Amino acid sequence: MEKITINQKILSKNDLNAMHLRNKFATNKTLVINMMSSPGSGKTSFLEKVLLRLKDKYNIAVIEGDLQTENDKQRIEAIGVRAIQIQTGGACHLEASEIDKKCQELGYENLDLLVIENVGNLVCPAEYDLGQDINIVMLSVTEGDDKPLKYPNIFFNSDIFILNKIDLLPYVDFSVEKALANARTIKNSLDIFQISCRNDEGLDNLQAYIETKILAKKRCS
Amino acid sequence: MHEASIANSILEISIGTAIENNSNKITLVSVRIGKMATIDESSLRFAFDAIKENTIAEHAVFEFNRVPLLGVCADCSHEAEYPGYFVACAECGSMSIKMISGDELEIAHIEVE
Repeated sequence: MEKITINQKILSKNDLNAMHLRNKFATNKTLVINMMSSPGSGKTSFLEKVLLRLKDKYNIAVIEGDLQTENDKQRIEAIGVRAIQIQTGGACHLEASEIDKKCQELGYENLDLLVIENVGNLVCPAEYDLGQDINIVMLSVTEGDDKPLKYPNIFFNSDIFILNKIDLLPYVDFSVEKALANARTIKNSLDIFQISCRNDEGLDNLQAYIETKILAKKRCS
Repeated sequence: MHEASIANSILEISIGTAIENNSNKITLVSVRIGKMATIDESSLRFAFDAIKENTIAEHAVFEFNRVPLLGVCADCSHEAEYPGYFVACAECGSMSIKMISGDELEIAHIEVE
């Protein structure tokens, strides 16, 4: 009997792929955003709104992750932004190797912003590095204000917390105060935005934030 | 939900390491899983047992070690174990707690014959 010490990360294959991806994005000065939420929080609606405002100034592409269909890809293409769909079949998250494959199809060069819309799921996507610069977690006010406490990992691993559908607040029992306090309990440094994709409230701030990050990435060498 | 793919990575790394060390029988696989790593122990065991069939790890014992969530306060340096992410520092009330351990997903070692 022989004991062999390994002390290696189990996800190391994905981590390694993600590191290579991150290097490629750095070389090409592409800002990469990974969007995560439950199904139905409004990720695609948000992208339709905010990318429409950015598409004439920047070269943008979106990778859409879903179990089935090309519906989200078609929605993004309808606003005039390039989109490519990953159908995971049954898998609950995206992995770095899939992103690399799709980026080769899209072409790594001259991309200012790549948005990865992850599979709607608050559990698994939190564990997989995709070479992104920014992780966004989105929650809508038709969900529970205790979700940050129920799914802490995804909030802990995120940089931005977007609260969506705030136009519906008069009709639901959602407490913004509690939701934000819960999120800050998990991660105090989260940047928080409150938006409505129906009446565009809060979108100016978020658009400005993303533009600042795109330009900051351009300046990085 | 993604325990099957984690189990697959564990098996790949274990078998690769055994072969590099000129062994063709793995008797034990030991992993360290952080409290906050969203891994369910029974699901991971089930997945590992299912995929180890007909490999050199098919008789391997699966040793699962859970690592506690430890945090250190960025303001007063107080270290403590936390039940989850994160509440205020028990010493000074600061909300700036940095993680020391608790998100591990690691293979510690294997035993081979």
